[in-house]
Amino acid sequence: MSRPPQPPAVAGEETRRHYLPNFCAASTVLTIVIICEVTALLLALARNEAALGFWSDLGMTSIFLLWIALCGAGLLCLMRDYLSRQSVAVSAAMVLTMTVTLVMVVSTITHYLASGFLIENAHWSFLGRNAGITFVVTALALRYFYVTHEWRHNVGLQAKARVHALQARIRPHFLFNSMNTIAALTRSNPARAEEAVLDLAELFRANLNEKRNQIALSEEISVARTYQRMEQLRLGDRLRVDWKVDSLPSDALVPGLTLQPLLENAIYHGVEPRQDGGVVTVTGEFNKGMITIVVRNPLPAANLTMRDGNRLALANIKERLDLMYGERATVKAGRFDEEYIVTLRFPFTAVAAGT
Amino acid sequence: MSLRVLIVDDEPPARERLRSMVAEAGEFEVAGEAGNGEQAIDMVDRLAPDIVLLDVRMPGIDGLEVARHLAALAAPPAVIFTTAFDEYALQAFDSEAVAYLLKPIRAEKLRAALAKAERLSRLQLQEVATATKTAAHRLHIGVRGRDGLKLIPIEDVYCFQADQKYTTVRHQKGEDLIEDSLKTLEEEFAAHFVRIHRNALVNTKYLERIARDASGQHFVHLRGMSDALEVSRRMAGDLKDRFRI
Repeated sequence: MSRPPQPPAVAGEETRRHYLPNFCAASTVLTIVIICEVTALLLALARNEAALGFWSDLGMTSIFLLWIALCGAGLLCLMRDYLSRQSVAVSAAMVLTMTVTLVMVVSTITHYLASGFLIENAHWSFLGRNAGITFVVTALALRYFYVTHEWRHNVGLQAKARVHALQARIRPHFLFNSMNTIAALTRSNPARAEEAVLDLAELFRANLNEKRNQIALSEEISVARTYQRMEQLRLGDRLRVDWKVDSLPSDALVPGLTLQPLLENAIYHGVEPRQDGGVVTVTGEFNKGMITIVVRNPLPAANLTMRDGNRLALANIKERLDLMYGERATVKAGRFDEEYIVTLRFPFTAVAAGT
Repeated sequence: MSLRVLIVDDEPPARERLRSMVAEAGEFEVAGEAGNGEQAIDMVDRLAPDIVLLDVRMPGIDGLEVARHLAALAAPPAVIFTTAFDEYALQAFDSEAVAYLLKPIRAEKLRAALAKAERLSRLQLQEVATATKTAAHRLHIGVRGRDGLKLIPIEDVYCFQADQKYTTVRHQKGEDLIEDSLKTLEEEFAAHFVRIHRNALVNTKYLERIARDASGQHFVHLRGMSDALEVSRRMAGDLKDRFRI
């Protein structure tokens, strides 16, 4: 079986991002300021310049370092595009050379301005020591950026791997039962059998499509409803799903397979094991820029074996929401009285046009 | 004479398909359809089918439990399991049925299984039933009353007591008469029940203490039951040692 040609990778998602942070961003500048202050503190603690006193020494050193660092950040911001095209080693060497050169220049100017009353050392000794310190601190900072970046990258990769695992995870039980239903309908109700085949095809497409990491909420709801139709054929009036999702913005951005696995779990754990079935309720709310989706199902009667495998899907959905929305997304699940309730909460972001 | 088949499946389309396939298979007649395990046990009782097409996965009493109940019958029907997919190995319960069929079921496979069931003698069916009984015990005790079948969870049973003809099952919601003999019950539930006397089998879960009266006769007290049960002299010491009561 041949695969259709893949469209070009989406920028930012597929291409690997450079380990150097964006020096134009305020958060990076703050990181640099903190690195400077820590270095200044270390230098002031290590030196014993009685003439100036600790606080004045720290102040002067801070001003000196911040000057260099902010100039450096500005330069790196300008060079960003160029640097991001270089390999790790080359860009690291360039950043090191640039900062050391910058330090030498600023040091020379400072020495020229302040020689005699603030700096006792000879010009070359002052320059050499500053260059050495800068080299070590910059190298450490680069290492820090690199390790942090690798860590983030790995977290992203793992999440992606889990998406694939989830996508491959159509329950075999569901597949074969659906096939059986279609086989039965083919005799008694060919029109309905045709509908069922189309629905099943749609579900598989949703499960197999790798480009569905970011989709519109309306699309995800439609997949979940298709899944419901399929199960409805099999379970008949034992299954009822109460949809209250009209208030949700249809263009909200969600990771694919967010709602459908929750509905699947609710039916598999809550409705199928009950002889007289049950009602699954899906409620959506949109309030102050936050979207809340609640899926609730009845629990199977006591002393019946609880089917397992629920946690995996939940953890997976949580990770993918985290990846998209960070800490602002929450997933909660638990038993409340006679029900099992899962609550998803995440900020509203409109899906980009054309995706 | 055509053989009578009972179809058991919780999904209406699956039953519908089997019904038409059995009808097309020749000398078989559909005796009835059951939508869950309880109904199945009850219908086997009333209709006495020759063959049961039994879905493994059903809500409540599942197919394996139904098969164990049928195996306890004097003349068990031939059981053919049907299943869409099962994580636990199908071979594990292969010995407990005449055959098993994977859904969606092919007509020729169904015909072959039905033909196999037809060929089996009473004796061979008894062998399958014995294998089922040894493989696993029932999770419920079936009581056939005037208003149909009642299922008592085995963990709710305090004890079985035998008299001349019947066995009484005493449980959390009262007591009932059953037809199983104490001997077969002892064999089936050896893991959870212990013989304390010629005429009594108790659930070890409820064992509380052993007492002696003035004449030296031992009695065992069960949690949740008001009266004490007689313990034979031979069993008393054994009980004390095994359960530290």
